[in-house]
Amino acid sequence: MKRVAWIYHPDYLLHSPPFEHPESPERLVAITDHLGKAGLIDRMVVVTPEYPEDTDILSVHDRDYLNRLETACRRGDLTLDSEDTYLNRHSFNVALLSAGGAISGAKAVAEGTADRAFCAIRPPGHHAGPDVGMGFCLLNNAAVAARYLQARHGVGKVLIVDWDVHHGNGTQNIFLEDPSVFYFSIHEHPTFLYPGTGRRWEIGKGKGEGTTLNAPMAPGAGDAEYRTTFEQTLEPAVERFRPEVILVSAGFDAHRDDPLADLMVTEEGFRFMTRHVVALANKFCGGKVVSILEGGYEPSSLTSCIEIHVRELLEE
Amino acid sequence: MFVARRMKKKIVTAAPSASLFEAQRQMREHTIRQIPVVSEDGTLVGIVSDRDIRAAVLPTDMVPGFTIGEAEKFMKNTPVERVMTRKVVTATLSDTLEDAIVLLHDFRVNALPVVDAAGKVAGIITRTDVLEAFIDALGVGEISSRLEVVVPDMPGTLAQLTAIISSFHVNITSVLSTRHVDIGKRSNFFRVATLNVGPIRKAIEEAGFEILDPSKFLLP
Ligand SMILES: [Zn+2]
Repeated sequence: MKRVAWIYHPDYLLHSPPFEHPESPERLVAITDHLGKAGLIDRMVVVTPEYPEDTDILSVHDRDYLNRLETACRRGDLTLDSEDTYLNRHSFNVALLSAGGAISGAKAVAEGTADRAFCAIRPPGHHAGPDVGMGFCLLNNAAVAARYLQARHGVGKVLIVDWDVHHGNGTQNIFLEDPSVFYFSIHEHPTFLYPGTGRRWEIGKGKGEGTTLNAPMAPGAGDAEYRTTFEQTLEPAVERFRPEVILVSAGFDAHRDDPLADLMVTEEGFRFMTRHVVALANKFCGGKVVSILEGGYEPSSLTSCIEIHVRELLEE
Repeated sequence: MFVARRMKKKIVTAAPSASLFEAQRQMREHTIRQIPVVSEDGTLVGIVSDRDIRAAVLPTDMVPGFTIGEAEKFMKNTPVERVMTRKVVTATLSDTLEDAIVLLHDFRVNALPVVDAAGKVAGIITRTDVLEAFIDALGVGEISSRLEVVVPDMPGTLAQLTAIISSFHVNITSVLSTRHVDIGKRSNFFRVATLNVGPIRKAIEEAGFEILDPSKFLLP
């Protein structure tokens, strides 16, 4: 059995919607309950996340944006820019602690206190860009973790595998021209689903051309299509790129029961994806995988998929 | 929208006496496929395309013993007025973008020189410009989600739908309404600036409209 870090903080529940909203604290309550009852948290390395250093956040986000976000929370704004990204007075701190959670997961793996990590954090991050929050996301947790590994642990090349059903436009933009971070995203086709980006010819720019890879899935696609894409598209790209660490933007909203999208992935699909990423990590980067929670809005499938995901990370 | 809004105003033109060689050089330099030919006072007299030039050179090319040097000499000695199309399909400054789209389609041309009332060339509008206008109109690339709603073909349904969407304080970034395959129905496509389309879909269904399931799009 592998040592898998469990990153969670009760303060993650403080960021809660002022109106009915799918991205709610109940998601994490359900996850911790379920994994606790399954006896899995007892078998993980419990790590309490800390607030990140300013420099670690500023490696991704603009100071002006952080100020704007902090002011909006303090002023009592209910939303940030667009109506779907809500705020309460805790949101700024919780967003920092969420990014801090991704850092803690990365740190545990980099320093060897764990082989892998699962970061049960929120708010999610992959839609957030350097100067903008959107799509329920305030700070880009995965991007902050990638930059942290490069700045503090001498990591050169990072692979981000984003299997949230939505395209991670924020993460893509942050690393668009950066050849040291490979961004792979599999998601529902942008014609049908938010945010409307992530078409197959978006492959990076300038020096980063070739280190962005998008696999849009037609509505109705499921386990078989995901398997083919991982084996035939992701795997050869990873062979060429040779990452030193793999981060997973682990959303579970591609599940057939999730209300926010139109894909048909099942528990077995998430088992396959986790197993495949673990195998790639074992082959290329000493097994180092840091999994960071993104979306997933239907409690029953969210928790059953995460249980499978964690069991696969444990290689029990 | 009028073509003037979408046409290229800085354009390359050629005099009737310009050589094919010079016209081809200009096309390569500016990555364009056709050049309006204008008289000294700017009046449109024809249009020459890369295909016209290739077609003119090709027959001489097939003469046995004809060298590249001779082909170049031929191109340098042949004025564009010898090969240009004289009956040019044009748009006028007062034509709309829809006019231009129909002209490009019905006359099977790649570009329309846009002429003013005096017959002078004011710009050019190409298939690419029209596609760009469509990309904008469809809201492709804007951060948004898509909804497809099938409605009875009767007045007021679009207003009902936009009222529902606006009750969620969500911006609509694009609207498209087309005929549906079923007679008596229309398909309305919206792009809305939110990730959270679930509640909007639900409200639309509760109001009695049919939301099309995207996964059904693939079925024949
Ligand atoms: Zn998502």
